[in-house]
Amino acid sequence: MVGSEHIEMIPAPENKIWSAEVNGTPVEVLAPSNAVLLDVLRDKVGTLGVKRGCDLGTCGCCTVMVDGAPRLSCLCLAGQVEGASIITVEGLADGAHLAPIQACFAEYGGSQCGFCTPGFLISAQALLNENDTPTDQDIACAIDGNLCRCTGYQQIIESIQGAAAIHRGEVAGPAPASDPHPDPHPEGPDEPNMPPGHAR
Amino acid sequence: MSGGYRQQPGASGGTTRKDGKRVAGKQAFPPPGSGGSRPKMSTRDLDFIPESVGGKEPQPAGSHIHDRVRTGTSVGKEMPLVDSNAKVTGQAWYGDDVRLPNEVIGKILRSPHHYAKIKSIDTSRVEALPGVLAVATGADSPHRFGVLPVTKDEHAMAVEKVRHVGDLVACVAAIDEATALEALNLFDVEWEVLEPVFDPKKGLEDADEPIHWRGKYHLAKTNVQKRVFQEFGDRSLVEKPHAASHGKWNMAGVHHGFTEPHAVVAHWDPNGRLQLYTPQQVPHYTHRALSTVLEVPMHQINVIRTFVGGGFGGKSDPFPHEMCAAILSRKSGRPVRITFDREEVYWINRGRHPSHIEVKMTADEDARISGFDIDALIDGGGFASFGHVTSYYNGVLATAPYELGSFHYTGARVWTNKPASGAMRGHGAVNTRCAVEVGLDEMAETMKVDPIDLRLANLLPPHSRTISGFRITSNGMREALEKVREGSNWDDKFRQLPLGKGIGIGCGFFISGSGLPIHWDPNRFPHATVHMQVDMDGGVTVHTGAADIGQGSTTAVAQVVSEVLALPIEMIHVRSHESDTSPVDLGSYSSRVTFMNANAAIRAALEIREQLLNAAWEILGYHPNNLVLNDRRIYYKHDPAIGVSYLKALHKAQEDKGALIASGAYRSPPMGGVHKGAAAGLAPAYSFSAYVAEVDVDVETGLIKCTNVWAAHDCGKALNPLAVKGQIIGSCHMGLGQVLSEKMVYGRTGHLQNPNLLDYKIPSVYEMPHVEPIIIESCDPEGPFGAKEAGEGPLLPILPAVVNAVYDAIGIRLRDLPLTPDVVFKGIEKALKASEHEDPTDLPSPRLTHGALQPTLVARAQEHKIRDKARQRTEDTSPYVNGVLFGFDPTIPLEDQVEGWRTATEPDPEQLAELGLAGRAWLKKEQRHMEGEN
Repeated sequence: MVGSEHIEMIPAPENKIWSAEVNGTPVEVLAPSNAVLLDVLRDKVGTLGVKRGCDLGTCGCCTVMVDGAPRLSCLCLAGQVEGASIITVEGLADGAHLAPIQACFAEYGGSQCGFCTPGFLISAQALLNENDTPTDQDIACAIDGNLCRCTGYQQIIESIQGAAAIHRGEVAGPAPASDPHPDPHPEGPDEPNMPPGHAR
Repeated sequence: MSGGYRQQPGASGGTTRKDGKRVAGKQAFPPPGSGGSRPKMSTRDLDFIPESVGGKEPQPAGSHIHDRVRTGTSVGKEMPLVDSNAKVTGQAWYGDDVRLPNEVIGKILRSPHHYAKIKSIDTSRVEALPGVLAVATGADSPHRFGVLPVTKDEHAMAVEKVRHVGDLVACVAAIDEATALEALNLFDVEWEVLEPVFDPKKGLEDADEPIHWRGKYHLAKTNVQKRVFQEFGDRSLVEKPHAASHGKWNMAGVHHGFTEPHAVVAHWDPNGRLQLYTPQQVPHYTHRALSTVLEVPMHQINVIRTFVGGGFGGKSDPFPHEMCAAILSRKSGRPVRITFDREEVYWINRGRHPSHIEVKMTADEDARISGFDIDALIDGGGFASFGHVTSYYNGVLATAPYELGSFHYTGARVWTNKPASGAMRGHGAVNTRCAVEVGLDEMAETMKVDPIDLRLANLLPPHSRTISGFRITSNGMREALEKVREGSNWDDKFRQLPLGKGIGIGCGFFISGSGLPIHWDPNRFPHATVHMQVDMDGGVTVHTGAADIGQGSTTAVAQVVSEVLALPIEMIHVRSHESDTSPVDLGSYSSRVTFMNANAAIRAALEIREQLLNAAWEILGYHPNNLVLNDRRIYYKHDPAIGVSYLKALHKAQEDKGALIASGAYRSPPMGGVHKGAAAGLAPAYSFSAYVAEVDVDVETGLIKCTNVWAAHDCGKALNPLAVKGQIIGSCHMGLGQVLSEKMVYGRTGHLQNPNLLDYKIPSVYEMPHVEPIIIESCDPEGPFGAKEAGEGPLLPILPAVVNAVYDAIGIRLRDLPLTPDVVFKGIEKALKASEHEDPTDLPSPRLTHGALQPTLVARAQEHKIRDKARQRTEDTSPYVNGVLFGFDPTIPLEDQVEGWRTATEPDPEQLAELGLAGRAWLKKEQRHMEGEN
């Protein structure tokens, strides 16, 4: 990148309309014909939840679901997935309802700094869509393309197992995260729910 | 109040006046909520209230001063991080996610040379390129900065010379990335290439052109940035050792490998203030450095910490690219975003120092550790960064948790023409800790004793003083060792497993918050300050400068406030992103946040609590001493039916002054000795840990697989056990990377060969062993609710545990980290030659038959266990200094008891000849003492 001679850049590619379905919504954006999917999603579509970690397909932070299969968006030209259905981390929750996998990542400590989390969530969700009774080995297989530097993976595996249990219907799913709390005793309860003398 | 609040104006219920103007109606507005979704007040959660104040939580380590404010609300409970929902929905905003209107893209021109003078930079062709909005070079940033005030040696862009490949030369802002990249090709730079230094050993010698020049304090003409000499104790004890160990280590540099590359957005707003968005662990240092470099007062700069995608020490320096963005933004008048690619992340580095470490240790006939001799030569790369401190930490943090007869340390940090090393998780302590713990293992083997018993019989007790003068308060080392021994079934496995399978032990000791705030006198300003405000809605806003980098510091602060005020955690809102709204804070390094910020937050919360209780006193007529605060209600202790809701009490308290405001601060007590460097490694508390690791070694290929780890860490009190376990497992992951696969590879020509995540081998999910986190709670007397750090200390023991386990598996001591298959295989080949075996599967596996010292150790450990328990529970408050084990009287200063007890920070002339590798730096003189010699 450093030199005294001026190297002519490759002529700018022409801009083309790129269309796809992102998180259930049809989008059409103007993007260079050689644009990488990651750039289009972050800079044009605005799904900033898709993270750029390495640009080399080594960290998995940019994983998105393309027609149901996890794919590294940094190694994928936008043109290759023209017209496809793309799910990013923003598309996992149903309105205020977190998807089970999201709720479990929060609950089991599967996310610390959170930068790798969107990629893990997509990889995990893709696994759970296919297999709701994964073994730890299955999970390792599904997330081995994702790097996490904080958690040491153990709590991520626990999170995915927790979400699998919800998918199987064994455990109730998460409550909506941002619903206003119905609070019948807004000022704090007047009647203490304890026998006199119990408190010290 | 029962009808709910009515507030004007509102959108609904409005009427239209005759003249057609719409009048805001009174909108039914839900009353200020007291939060939470629980309709009934719950009984106090006695499981989370300590025994000493009437609950059921056991207190084996004794009671704590904060017990009386425990309400059972959130401390000790497993909770998700308060910002986890933002993270799992993709809404957390990291550096590159800050997109301001009208932004432009900044790119940095980097040096292609290891070491060169810049003769000239011509930017005319850059400026002529359409789309380029601003160009800056070193001429725009003449001021030096650096993370430590004593070693400011960085510029935003190279002023006179570049010091490593990738060093910043110039920067440019353009309308888009393609234009900015093209512009980088148009700089015309004239270089004068200088002779680079790569080998830290060469850095000890005089050079024609030292990488930095420190004037009269420069050490001859070498590249030594810092040298340290320390000697404590009675050196006569090491003269006739009963057992000894000697090891020379070669440890490669490792990088933090955080997933988020550095990114920064700078925006000079229309009022002339700089708004700088950056993922920083230590926003305050950046704030200071920006002020110096830009010549703008600090109050005209607002540093906004974005979410931080992993730090581990690698985002704690003020960085030159942050200055570049600000300069470009000032010049172009538009917001400038600079995002690194992964290669640039490695060039800015600040990872763990590549180190040459030599450790000699001795034990006497009672298996007491009579001496530690450590020599550490560390490769600092092109800049000082935290190196001044690292040079000390390599020695002083190895002085505990053992009782030593003597301690001798020589350390040197040298500049080389490589990316700068800096602070990384376990700062400075990791490499020497590994060397020391492996040395102990070796000594245990010569003495034919169990290495765990050797450690158990040589531990410093709680409430004692180390050989270098550190004040140890709570100490859970013994319990940690016992727990991992039991958990791993150590006694049935150690030295009994077949060839290729091994088990090993390692311990750790780390600071919980550096006792010296780098930038100010601790006697004048506190270490941490927290502001708190409670408005009419009942929500509590906490302002702190503590930087949450994923470790959960925001959650910890919210938890302690929630605990004191007995409010559900969703009612506590921590604001910590902006320097405009948060009090000055030193940030997230040296594992200080939980200890210092949570302590400050507790103080502020106690002030609010007092105001609430006083208001309830006015309403109820009972003195606060007889009132209980629990779950949004304050009631009379002997009849809970008499009480007042939290909101009523709050509104009563607010009658005179509106919002309730409080401020809390923490400062560490005066500590430590007076010798030079005594402040390095001082901390208000120390964490302890012990790990047992099990490995499989393939003797035919040299591949090591760590299968199981039992990880016990003494964090004082786990405020949030979920987060503590996460830190322990995560530390194992990072430490395993360093010991098994991670390495910054510099080739023959000094180039970094693996600046990407493909060739830099971070363990994936397949390389992770099963980790059994074991939390030890020693209840630190000064920690918030007894808590100490859990973020860095847990990394230390995994390295020696694995190295020792490898020895147990194949009987070979390896001292080159990382233990990649080629290193192991070379070791196996050497062992085969030495033992004249042909087939590696015939190698003997080490075995242990206990010698005569074993029962002595077991008996001593038993005796010490009783001593430690009494001291931990402060039943025994007599003084204890390092040396008592060797027969000294703790009430008389050691210097007065033993002739030859030394506290030295410079070598004696007769010692000079026998100093180790790094110690050779002491053969050189500082310029000011060299008059006429040059």
